[in-house]
Amino acid sequence: MSLLSIEQLTKEYDGIRALDRVSLKVEGGSIKGLIGPNGAGKSTLFHLISGVEKPDSGKILFKKRDITNMESHERSALGIGRTFQTVQVWGNMTVVENVMAGMHRRLKGSLFSYGLWLPWIRTSEKEALKEAKEILNSLGLLGKWESTASQLPYGKQKLLELGRALAMKPQLLLLDEPASGLTLSEIEQLSERISEMRQKGVTVFIVEHHMGMVMEVADEIAVLHNGELIAEGKPENVRRNSVVMEAYLTRGSAGK
Amino acid sequence: MSSQPAKGAQKEFRKRDLFYLVPLWVLSLIAPDPYLYHKKEFKRKDLYYLGAIGLAPLTWSDPHFHHVMVLAGIYAILALGLSLFMGYAGQISLGHAAFFGIGAYTTAILTTRHGFSPFVALWASVLSASAVAYLIGRPILKLKGYFLALATLGFGEIFLVMVRESTDLTGGVIGIFGIPWFSVAGFSFDTYLKQYYLIWGVVAGLFIFSKNLVRSKLGRALLAVAASEDAASSVGINVPRIKLEIFVLGAAFAGLAGSLFACIMSTANPETFGLGVTVPIVMMVILGGMGTIYGPVAGAILLTWLMDILSRYQEYSLPIYSIILILLLIFFPDGIGTRLNVRILYLIGYWAKKRKRDEGKL
Amino acid sequence: MGAIYALVALGFVTISRASQIINFAQGEFVMLGGVATFFLLNGVRLPYPLAALIAVMIVVLVGFAMYLSVLYPLRKASILILIMATLGISIFLSSTSGLIFGTLPKALPPFTDEQPLMFWGISMLPQSVWVLVSTLVLLTFLYLLSHRTLLGKAMEASSTDPLGADLLGISRSLMVFLAFGVSAGVGAFAGILITPIFFTSYNSGTLLGLKGFIAAVLGGWGKNSGAILGGFVLGIVESLSLAFIPSGYKDAVAFVILLLILYFRPKGILGSPFIDSRRW
Repeated sequence: MSLLSIEQLTKEYDGIRALDRVSLKVEGGSIKGLIGPNGAGKSTLFHLISGVEKPDSGKILFKKRDITNMESHERSALGIGRTFQTVQVWGNMTVVENVMAGMHRRLKGSLFSYGLWLPWIRTSEKEALKEAKEILNSLGLLGKWESTASQLPYGKQKLLELGRALAMKPQLLLLDEPASGLTLSEIEQLSERISEMRQKGVTVFIVEHHMGMVMEVADEIAVLHNGELIAEGKPENVRRNSVVMEAYLTRGSAGK
Repeated sequence: MSSQPAKGAQKEFRKRDLFYLVPLWVLSLIAPDPYLYHKKEFKRKDLYYLGAIGLAPLTWSDPHFHHVMVLAGIYAILALGLSLFMGYAGQISLGHAAFFGIGAYTTAILTTRHGFSPFVALWASVLSASAVAYLIGRPILKLKGYFLALATLGFGEIFLVMVRESTDLTGGVIGIFGIPWFSVAGFSFDTYLKQYYLIWGVVAGLFIFSKNLVRSKLGRALLAVAASEDAASSVGINVPRIKLEIFVLGAAFAGLAGSLFACIMSTANPETFGLGVTVPIVMMVILGGMGTIYGPVAGAILLTWLMDILSRYQEYSLPIYSIILILLLIFFPDGIGTRLNVRILYLIGYWAKKRKRDEGKL
Repeated sequence: MGAIYALVALGFVTISRASQIINFAQGEFVMLGGVATFFLLNGVRLPYPLAALIAVMIVVLVGFAMYLSVLYPLRKASILILIMATLGISIFLSSTSGLIFGTLPKALPPFTDEQPLMFWGISMLPQSVWVLVSTLVLLTFLYLLSHRTLLGKAMEASSTDPLGADLLGISRSLMVFLAFGVSAGVGAFAGILITPIFFTSYNSGTLLGLKGFIAAVLGGWGKNSGAILGGFVLGIVESLSLAFIPSGYKDAVAFVILLLILYFRPKGILGSPFIDSRRW
């Protein structure tokens, strides 16, 4: 049974179909890539999955549960983490706090237990700090754990955003153009991290322009064009698919 | 650090800068850089401040000083609650004075009409203010920016009209008189000095509570909501709920402050709970520096003294007061502490260089 | 009354169209207009039209001064700071005018005699007719100004697309500056119209300003037509409400309407072009 399955999803903006009856499945434990030229509806699809927007029709199932009309914080509570196309780290907090805030759902306690700083809060906060530092260490950000997140360079902010999503311990991780704006070496580092996640049992769903990277890390690739799913399959098959080639060539080259 | 440099070549420099430097240098210590994680832990410094607050009334035994500081403490409670909502969660509320008023009137009515003790009335005030905040917060808090400001302002105005018009319950424009002193188990807080310790004890307690909140998961969630609501809900933070929680908490603080205020002033009338309170407490939060816990307390002390000094000029006090507020907003939009820290570092560097240069000349 | 709300609402919209600032001191312009005319008429003994004209000019100057001294230095500040700054100005203007002109409520004589006129069986005070007619004239003028002239278009452009306006060489600061003048003028005009009917005193501006803002939100934020419609709707609802509730609660009606409209239809009656953007 697939972890995430999307059935006949349609979304319109002012009469323009951004998504037209798209159905696809993401298998548990796999890495799935989603590519397509600009304006193909990739970001819309992501917004619908993470709950920023609601579809006009169709269904989204996650772990066999219908999440189509859930609020986005409920979805993340179920185990869907995400990053954003334009980085959205919280610049008013330190790096380590960004990651610790990612653990929000896993830390329990009411407002009063925090206000009174009960003993078990003390231990849970300490553990959270320790775990956040471990995550930062694995991303190579530990050296800057106490600096303000907005002071980090762009690439590091992207990594931090990934770290924050990881801190949720998600089952499904949605990455929205993780490689955009990164240097080549940063992209390499990023693909390593993504490949590692498979071993940790995290399912990853990537939207990406950077074809090379997606082809490398993804087990399976889906191609969107003008709001329709035009191809799906193994990277090498997709690469050879004539419909896909045509879509990219007629729209000008978006892949590199 | 010495703020009195050697006399000599810097004379024209000092004339310009010393007058805000000396009194405000203390404040710069009070408002530390809020961002560093380890700064959010409790420090020995906090104990010193507590000691200073505890010893201050013994050093200055002037009853007027005690009274102004009692008022400052009440404002500090209000500003603390508001700071959680505005400084941390990044929302805007211009209706906080209404919760203050609800607390005061609950206490006034319960003690004078129904003969409850002030201690019971205190808890009733906290509960009533939070309950109203819960009801009003649910619809209002989905608004943002100007609309949120306007809606909360509107709520405050509705409250004022209700108070003025429901004469049977609240005494209308005249208000309610003869509220008893605050007392616990027979011990009555009937002098300014006793009130001072009562109020500042409460401030210290709430301060620790707030500080615990902001260094925990909740504080992080609040900051996250302020910076990006989309990102906050992407990690599973229930944004509407946490806004509501903190709004209600702020209202509870205000209700508590209102109850204490009613007991100390022994009256409650609508004049005290309008924009005349909202503007100063919002200013306290801004001046102290958004997103700090020391800030609102420092801002409360500063502004209360300012208002007290200005009240001597009678009809000129309001124009002067508003000009000072506007000037403060223009020159210290991020709060006095943060900007001053930078300024002082700059000055230290300047003096050090200057002294070196002078010594070189000699 | 509706016409006055409409004018105040229009003042809000004029400024916010140019700058996305909400001027909480808008009501003080109205108050100043009324009080200054009263002063010029009874203190300096100028003829009525001249007094009104000079009063409007004074208030326009106040509007300019306010922008230059406070809002220009704060043009990059956050919403909260702007709100507090305009509230501070509001306190300043009302308390200063109380200081200069005295705190007693003032009433101007009506423009013409007080014999009620009959229109199709409805009796109206001549002053009410004056208010309606002059409001309509002013509205037409403002409509032409904002939709038919280059200046109005430039103002609109600098609000909706600051970068584009910059590229076209439109000075945003100048536009906001002018918007403040226009809105102060409109406010003062409203003040002169209203003072013969209702008493104006140094502290009546704040509430009037807030109601004007509510009218602007009610009609549809950011639209001139919305402001006008909202003003009249608010005025009518308020006077109708007097039939059902004690008159003391009248002031609460507007705010109850506000909370309802913000909850159920924040776009207002006519819809709003700004409401979708994150800032609102």
